[in-house]
Amino acid sequence: MRLFTGQSAFVAQRISALLLLACVAVVALRLAIGPSPTFAQWRAWAGQPLGGAVVLVLAGALFMHAWIGARDVLIDYVKPFALRLAVMTFVAAGLCVLAAWTAVIVATHAL
Amino acid sequence: MRFRIYRFDPDRDSKPRWQEYELDLHANDRMVLDALVRLKEQDDSIAFRRSCREGVCGSDGMNINGLNALACITPLAGISEPVTLAPLPSFPVIRDLIVDMTQFFAHYDAIKPYLVNEEPPPERERLQSPAERQRLDGLYECILCACCTSFCPSAWWNPEKFLGPAALLQARRFIVDSRDRAAPQRLEFLDDVYKLFRCRTIMNCTQVCPKGLNPAHAIERIKIDLLRHSS
Repeated sequence: MRLFTGQSAFVAQRISALLLLACVAVVALRLAIGPSPTFAQWRAWAGQPLGGAVVLVLAGALFMHAWIGARDVLIDYVKPFALRLAVMTFVAAGLCVLAAWTAVIVATHAL
Repeated sequence: MRFRIYRFDPDRDSKPRWQEYELDLHANDRMVLDALVRLKEQDDSIAFRRSCREGVCGSDGMNINGLNALACITPLAGISEPVTLAPLPSFPVIRDLIVDMTQFFAHYDAIKPYLVNEEPPPERERLQSPAERQRLDGLYECILCACCTSFCPSAWWNPEKFLGPAALLQARRFIVDSRDRAAPQRLEFLDDVYKLFRCRTIMNCTQVCPKGLNPAHAIERIKIDLLRHSS
């Protein structure tokens, strides 16, 4: 499989969607069965190694899903190659910065 | 019955125009193609393709009241007026309702629409079991009218690179054929960001296929075949 083209992107997009869907379901269930956790409780959970790992995996899935979706839209609608390359670079850089920021926050609090 | 027909003659017109026609239908005028043939008797400058007149050759694919269809099997009974006839959307127009299908057939050619089998041929023919033959149902019936590909937004966005539903339906027809030996190569050819994976499952192809086929399903099955092939 080539990196994020064709089938690999198709599979990655669906696996990341399933992970995000599971996350939404778990959070919804948690909110439904008990009192809403406070921000401090969420932060304490994410600050544990396991919680931090879950946040990192979900953030990775979110950014990967966002990149493949954005790339598909740009391939379909932005035809001038230079403009497409510029917008793709901007989107990829933005997602990389967000991913790095997420990793730094998790590492600061959880590790 | 009133008709509104897309007219364009590149030798005379700088841009396309719509032309209105009135036609008194005869008892034998049952399909849109019957009316078109009668209109051509009134105005012999109208250009369109047709051949078999019974939905087999795929020559008279066109856009009828906003949906792609074959004129020869689209009934006049109950059709809304004016009957608007346009060439297949997104294809370059040669003249009036005649479009250039060069790109369409180039994509068809790219999927190698023939059996690839280097094994020595048997004395009579390469046999299939009834079950193997049944796997071709819903695939081999395509008549290459281009109604699906011309109505596919993914093909509008990337006409040179996305193969389109008709070519992909045909690709699946050869991937599942028990007599073919090139399925791995066919799947590797399709594993590309454009050729197959531009399909967004919009399903316009399935909606307009005049033969009642389901190219969107065939495309999804190719994606599953690819997954099995690579795992």
